[in-house]
Amino acid sequence: MFPDPGSLGNKNSSSLMLCSLLSTSELEMKYGTSIDKGLSSARAAEILARDGPNALTPPKATPEIVKFLKQMIGGFSILLWIGAGFSWISFGIQLAQGVDSAFDNVSGWAPTPPALGAFNTPQLLSNYKEASRSHQALPPPNTSDKSSNIATPPVDNSSLTGESEPQSRSCDFTHENPLETRNIAFYSTTCVEGTATGIVINTGDRTIIGRIASLASGVGNEKTPIAIEIEHFVYLVAGVAISIGVLFFIISVSMRYKILDSIIFLIGIIVANVPEGLLATVTVSLSLTAKRMAKKNCLVKNLEAVETLGSTSIICSDKTGTLTQNRMTVAHLWFDNQIYSADTSEDQTTQPFDQSSPTWTALSKIVTLCNRAEFRPGQENLPIMKRVVVGDASETALLKFSEVILGDVMSIRAQNRKVAEIPFNSTNKFQLSIHETDDPQDKRFLLVMKGAPERILERCSTIMINGKEEPLDSEKAEAFQTAYMELGGMGERVLGFCHLYLPENEFPETFQFDTDSMNFPTSNLCFVGLLSMIDPPRSTVPDAVSKCRSAGIKVIMVTGDHPITAKAIAKSVGIISATSETVEDIAKRLNIPVEQVNRREATAAVVNGMELKDMSSEQLDEILRNHTEIVFARTSPQQKLIIVEGCQRQGAVVAVTGDGVNDSPALKKADIGIAMGIAGSDAAKNAADMVLLDDNFASIVTGVEEGRLIFDNLKKTIAYTLTKNIAELCPFLIYIIASIPMPIGTITILFIDLGTDIIPSVALAYEKAESDIMNRRPRNKRRDRLVNQQLAVYSYLQIGIMQSVGAFVTYFTVYAEQGFLPSTLLGVRVNWENNAINDFEDSYGQQWTHYQRMYLQWTGYTAFFVSITIQQVADLIIRKTRRNSIFRQGLFRNKVIWVGIFSQIGIALILTYGLGHVTALNFTPLRFQYWFVAVPFAILIWVYDEIRKLLIRRHPGSECTPLILIKYFHFMSLFPPFHSHPRLSCHSQYI
Amino acid sequence: MATLNEKKTCSERMADFRRFVWNPETKLFMGRSLINWVWISLYYLAFYVVMSGLFALSIYCLMRTINPYEPDYQDQLKSPGVTLRPDVYGDRGLRIYYNVSDNKTWEGLVTTLHTFLAAYTPAAQHLNINCTNNTYFIQDTFDGPNNTKLSCKFTSDMLQNCSGITDPTFGYPEGKPCFIIKMNRIIKFYPGNGTAPRVNCTYVGEEGSRPLDADYYPGNGTFSLHYFPYYGKKAQPSYSNPLVAVKFLNITRNVEFKIVCKVIGAGITFNVHDPYEGKVEFKLKIED
Repeated sequence: MFPDPGSLGNKNSSSLMLCSLLSTSELEMKYGTSIDKGLSSARAAEILARDGPNALTPPKATPEIVKFLKQMIGGFSILLWIGAGFSWISFGIQLAQGVDSAFDNVSGWAPTPPALGAFNTPQLLSNYKEASRSHQALPPPNTSDKSSNIATPPVDNSSLTGESEPQSRSCDFTHENPLETRNIAFYSTTCVEGTATGIVINTGDRTIIGRIASLASGVGNEKTPIAIEIEHFVYLVAGVAISIGVLFFIISVSMRYKILDSIIFLIGIIVANVPEGLLATVTVSLSLTAKRMAKKNCLVKNLEAVETLGSTSIICSDKTGTLTQNRMTVAHLWFDNQIYSADTSEDQTTQPFDQSSPTWTALSKIVTLCNRAEFRPGQENLPIMKRVVVGDASETALLKFSEVILGDVMSIRAQNRKVAEIPFNSTNKFQLSIHETDDPQDKRFLLVMKGAPERILERCSTIMINGKEEPLDSEKAEAFQTAYMELGGMGERVLGFCHLYLPENEFPETFQFDTDSMNFPTSNLCFVGLLSMIDPPRSTVPDAVSKCRSAGIKVIMVTGDHPITAKAIAKSVGIISATSETVEDIAKRLNIPVEQVNRREATAAVVNGMELKDMSSEQLDEILRNHTEIVFARTSPQQKLIIVEGCQRQGAVVAVTGDGVNDSPALKKADIGIAMGIAGSDAAKNAADMVLLDDNFASIVTGVEEGRLIFDNLKKTIAYTLTKNIAELCPFLIYIIASIPMPIGTITILFIDLGTDIIPSVALAYEKAESDIMNRRPRNKRRDRLVNQQLAVYSYLQIGIMQSVGAFVTYFTVYAEQGFLPSTLLGVRVNWENNAINDFEDSYGQQWTHYQRMYLQWTGYTAFFVSITIQQVADLIIRKTRRNSIFRQGLFRNKVIWVGIFSQIGIALILTYGLGHVTALNFTPLRFQYWFVAVPFAILIWVYDEIRKLLIRRHPGSECTPLILIKYFHFMSLFPPFHSHPRLSCHSQYI
Repeated sequence: MATLNEKKTCSERMADFRRFVWNPETKLFMGRSLINWVWISLYYLAFYVVMSGLFALSIYCLMRTINPYEPDYQDQLKSPGVTLRPDVYGDRGLRIYYNVSDNKTWEGLVTTLHTFLAAYTPAAQHLNINCTNNTYFIQDTFDGPNNTKLSCKFTSDMLQNCSGITDPTFGYPEGKPCFIIKMNRIIKFYPGNGTAPRVNCTYVGEEGSRPLDADYYPGNGTFSLHYFPYYGKKAQPSYSNPLVAVKFLNITRNVEFKIVCKVIGAGITFNVHDPYEGKVEFKLKIED
């Protein structure tokens, strides 16, 4: 379904490669243009008309009405619509039969609009729009013409390939792959230095980036895990509803009810089973979590992604910016034959290493002077690390480093006036400047130079040790090499520094330095020291990685960077732990060739993009399976997609971070794509499910925690909701079987489902984590269901039954105290409901009109309703925890639960006493004492559940309650001992 | 994802399901060993037995608190319902249509009345005493046989022309039909506040202003006070409701009339929602 990204280059090759092979004049011929003059405006307009503007086609937007309809009838809502349909059918049947009360039932069974309205998943983010390019109308092909003084101007391809280093460009054809060849520059890349002239060969969607963008929209959306869970739940509820419905259809037919009545019963039972309020609750809970996550810098675009993040088992993370601070920082220094470490934290104010040596003074001077970077003015009050600098990454690092140690760099530079300068370029790989000294007595000029260490060393004949120049002999050169290798081995970018005081007699004050002819010495300089820089990890990342590790989440680093750097960062943040080794490490330690190492021994692996290119998917699977700590270095963003697919083949739920346009296919493909809010491109944000506002890896981990919590809490919510379903269904079943007056009305049921129960079930979403949820493995998509058999059975067959019994006791109490003793009630249904009997006799010989009976029936509804509400309070309290005692979790820690309880009781009070006189709602002002009839049963529910939790804690291994209970009460004398049965567990998960 | 999305064929699904029902290798029946199922069933059996026990206990306690003579509350019985005989119900309430010249249309009505009055024969009423003083028959003690209270006799002959004794057809063939009005029993209900409540029938709707020419039996159409209060089935097992019969004398033929018979007396109220509380409404049409 998704083309192999490796072939991406080849697909273009037809036109692109051809072009890369052609000479300039051939190109001019082909496109009818001239490298000097460009296109004539007429021709340009013609091409513009043919090819359209040079802009990416924005992704096809779904029409709002389609989105709306999807929300209206998608997923769970369909169950409600079917319910509504059934209601109308039964209404039709009753109407055809001429039953007056048909109208009652319609208003009762039809789902009410507010419930549906709440299902419309709010889109938290407005759609990111592809930023319009200012040069949209640029007609192809065109030429831009600027004077050039650099032979190979570097371009920043990072948005396309993710390479952080600018790539040089020249007129030579160097590679068959258009992505690799040097004579093609790409749309959306920038020329970071110098100028370049070229011929536009493709525009808009036909560019490489256009193809990537269209690839992203081609990746289908996978169903989110929570969507799968909800679907599973719908099946379960529908299954229960239909089987109970059919069962009672058969029962009622065999009890000689009319077929039409039985069909109405069937439909009634099916509809009564639908938890109308649940979807609203789920949506609200997810929204609340999304809001909470947004506060923690995770902006969720798709609500269902909230939970997906929680079930994540592999995170494929970028390195730069996500794991690291995305700024070069001086990490180590080497002078006086010694390596010093520098502080690389985000908010350094001082540097702790020894700064007494005169060599350091010299070195610091070079660092300060041989640097073109400057602070933007007007930032004096900001901390140094936060100030904006004009200059490249390493110069910025050096500037900030010296600012921290020496203070005002700009004034030091002013005191040492610059007289000549050769900026850094990629050919000579050094930077040089000549300054006057700040000592007015000293009329010498100071030449300072920095650059690639080996190039710098070549130009030196002496080395400064403890402030004294000493000849650079082979021994000292050896020491330099060792230090250089060591720093380089840490994945750091190393720079060498040297200087020379120009002799006063040769270079008097008036000497004119000429940088083109280099009329000054550039060799036999004095080597001073090395500085190495790295993009250091964010300080919160190591902690976050170890959290992931204890949470059973594999963190895979995918970076375009060099393997050595990648590995160094991976080690410093803990993606590769201190004790684990790669195959290469083992080989090095044992001093044997890499091929002889047992690959199973290596827990870590650093895979180079080049190797990945040649791997089959089986080989990739093997790597992903066998190594727990993996770093992919030098990968092209296209390979990211391959890695994601590989992880998904392992059955993992994969989260992927990305920022570039070219990451968007991977972001789309991943179960949850995470785009960077600061560094991310619009295309990436568009393709992602979530946006990290602070680009920080640690935010993902907090997101995971929230995601897991919401899964737990949704379980609680569903258990809570399902329970009272039985208490709503039982009356109907008993009504059919025992022919008693209807104990609860459909309107009343709706008032529970959509009234009293909504706020408490949402309140469960605020429940704190029960135990450290970051210490258990990610849930197994196939085993750990949202609604498992255990949860359903416990809710339906145990707590639900208790609730029903409690409610029935209230029901019988009300009827008995008004004159109908339980024995009288059995079998009265037909006469009771008969309009034509207006002198219906109760147990005391009193006679009732039909309306008086109906009013009593509504009192019964109200009593049943009140009992369910009271017992739902107990249900709410027991659902706060899944295995901990309520006393441990604390009754008062979640204040929202109390809001829920009070709202529940408050709504019930309003319905009973406020609306008790509105006959259409079937509520009556209930005598106060009936509120307390069900209280003992509520307490029973609580005690029963506490015992269950106690037993589950005592007998871990998560056996189901009945088994533990039996085991606990030891029927040992009667039956063979239980312990001999190896498999007792009902399910792997407790409720 | 890929592994989850594997599509299985129907037969594979069936095989999977059969395997779930009975797995011969692990000897698991529906995912559990048989012994496991036995334990679970036993547990649920015990659980439901206990729950039933609790329910029974609750109902037992409830019954212990219940007064056998009178209910704790009479919230819905503030005012008695009133019923009519013969009672033929149409779509919207009572509707009595008949044709004087067609026996079949009114024989059923007459039979209803005879059947109803069968409970008011002297034989059926032999347990009850004769009462004449038109005051509330208040009994604080159990003076009747078997620890019961006494009830006053009401026999059908008190309905005179509408008793079915002198005219077994209750005037139906003549177009002067009898209707019997009965007030529902409510325990310890004292209607009329010392004056006997009486029945008054009028036309409703367009005919509202027209006087309704009718005879009431017993005289004045009153329910004598000595039938009240009612002490309940247990205290007064032989109690029978007093009746009032109304004979319409001059009903225009072939026109449907809406008639309401109200029981007038203090304490007897009407309810807008209840067409049969304190009054009874019905439609009447006599054809020829």
